[in-house]
Amino acid sequence: MGEDNRKERFLSNEERVAFVQKKKKQSHYWKMMLSISGILCFFISWELLTLSGIVPKQYLASPGEIIKLFVVKINDPNPDGAVIMVNIFSSLKVSLTGFGAAVLVGVPLGWLMGWYRSIDSLVNPIFEIVRPIPPVAWIPLTIVWMGVGLGAKATIVFLSAFIPCVINSYTGIRQTSEVLINVGKTCGASDFTIFYKIGIPSAMTMTFTGLKLAIGNAWSTLVAAEMLAATSGLGYMILQGRNFARTDIIMLGVITIGTIGTIIISLFNSLENIVLGWKKL
Amino acid sequence: MKSVKKNNSNLFYPMLSFVSVILLIGLWLYIAGRSDFPGPHDVWARMMMMFEFPIKGLNIFGHLLASLKRVLIALAFCWTAGLGFGIMLGWNQRLRAFFEPMFSAFRAVPPLAWIPLITLWFGIGEFPKVLIVIIGGLPPVVVNTQAGIANIAQIYMDVGTIFHVNKRQRLFQIALPSALDAIFAGIKNSTSSAWMVVLAAEMLGGKSGVGFLISRGTDSMDMPMMLLSMIAIGIVSAVLAIILNTIERVSCPWLRKGK
Repeated sequence: MGEDNRKERFLSNEERVAFVQKKKKQSHYWKMMLSISGILCFFISWELLTLSGIVPKQYLASPGEIIKLFVVKINDPNPDGAVIMVNIFSSLKVSLTGFGAAVLVGVPLGWLMGWYRSIDSLVNPIFEIVRPIPPVAWIPLTIVWMGVGLGAKATIVFLSAFIPCVINSYTGIRQTSEVLINVGKTCGASDFTIFYKIGIPSAMTMTFTGLKLAIGNAWSTLVAAEMLAATSGLGYMILQGRNFARTDIIMLGVITIGTIGTIIISLFNSLENIVLGWKKL
Repeated sequence: MKSVKKNNSNLFYPMLSFVSVILLIGLWLYIAGRSDFPGPHDVWARMMMMFEFPIKGLNIFGHLLASLKRVLIALAFCWTAGLGFGIMLGWNQRLRAFFEPMFSAFRAVPPLAWIPLITLWFGIGEFPKVLIVIIGGLPPVVVNTQAGIANIAQIYMDVGTIFHVNKRQRLFQIALPSALDAIFAGIKNSTSSAWMVVLAAEMLGGKSGVGFLISRGTDSMDMPMMLLSMIAIGIVSAVLAIILNTIERVSCPWLRKGK
């Protein structure tokens, strides 16, 4: 450490910058290698566990088998009655319907609650009563009211996505800087103009965080909704896999759900960068 | 902006809240009167009936306790293991680089999707249920602890360097206290997530617990029972949240200012 410092003293400015950048690159390279080796270790130990027979085959499918099954499942509807693409699309349809409805209702509601105190005191008590009930607990009631169609499943997804939407847009608009509001007032803007020209844009960052939480919730509750009442979808596929004691089907379903969830989240992150690029100056 | 009704505002807004709750209860009574949807008195009667004719030998409080026991065992594990693992990942960059891809892959799978796999591996006893709740409650603690430890303001560390602290002091006297609010956020998230997961686990296969009560109510179209369990679940999760908020306020009073 001390030696490095002494060396640096004799470097010119450009050389010093280059030195620091090189160090940074090196540590970045090291981290990449560690990440890759972590993933490799995981897969190799998984494959070895199944190959060596320590864990019996009916309990754990090897990564290779799951990839093979995925290729087969593209054309083969057995054993759950739908090929994998149909399952993926029916799951996506449910979660996106519920999520879309939650955004359309929840975000404006949160903004209005955060801005107008009368709406806040009118809606907040009801919201506080409904909020602690987990979406999963609504499933039976929803089935009784709406059957087992798309509407019922979307309602459960809606309930799970609705709450983060409201809370985050509410908190976001509450944090609007007083200075900005006063500027609006000085320029003679009406309360409503200040609300949608100053309040909403400054609440956008928090609102987007809410949307990300909501889509995560929507995707994970969807599985619960499908497990309890469905005829197709990834959750249904997992459940059928359990009924037929097909570990490979279950694991394929679990991995597909995880992968699609990751893809959705990263899509949202890049969408945030596009929409809120002006915030990150 | 909000000062127009200043004179009567200290009465006006609480009144509005009161009115909305009254409206909600009125709506419930109205629907219950006009259809076969159970009203509050039906739910109350169902609860009283459960004291006389318990389901699987337990009344509603017994089932609540059975669920709570699973959640608390799982959470005790989540909080100790999650804190340890989170501190490890937040403190050591190499370890984080090694474990992070695996951990985020694990986190991407919703905890409920593990249920069939776990039941296939371990059956439907008590251990698999606790394990599922652990899977649901662990990630929030780890993620928040890691983020809290990794994002300490550099100035705290610099102060530590000035005072010649050693590595252990740096961790226990600088990093941990300054990450405490993030850690608490993780603990709160893990509690609500654990409570949701235990319901789902019990609904899909159990002999006790509120989740089991709900699915029993569904199977026999026992609407008062479904409502009773939902209300009980809501009350318990509200109480859990209040307890944790109180602990947070008492144990880190310096956070109170901002909120």
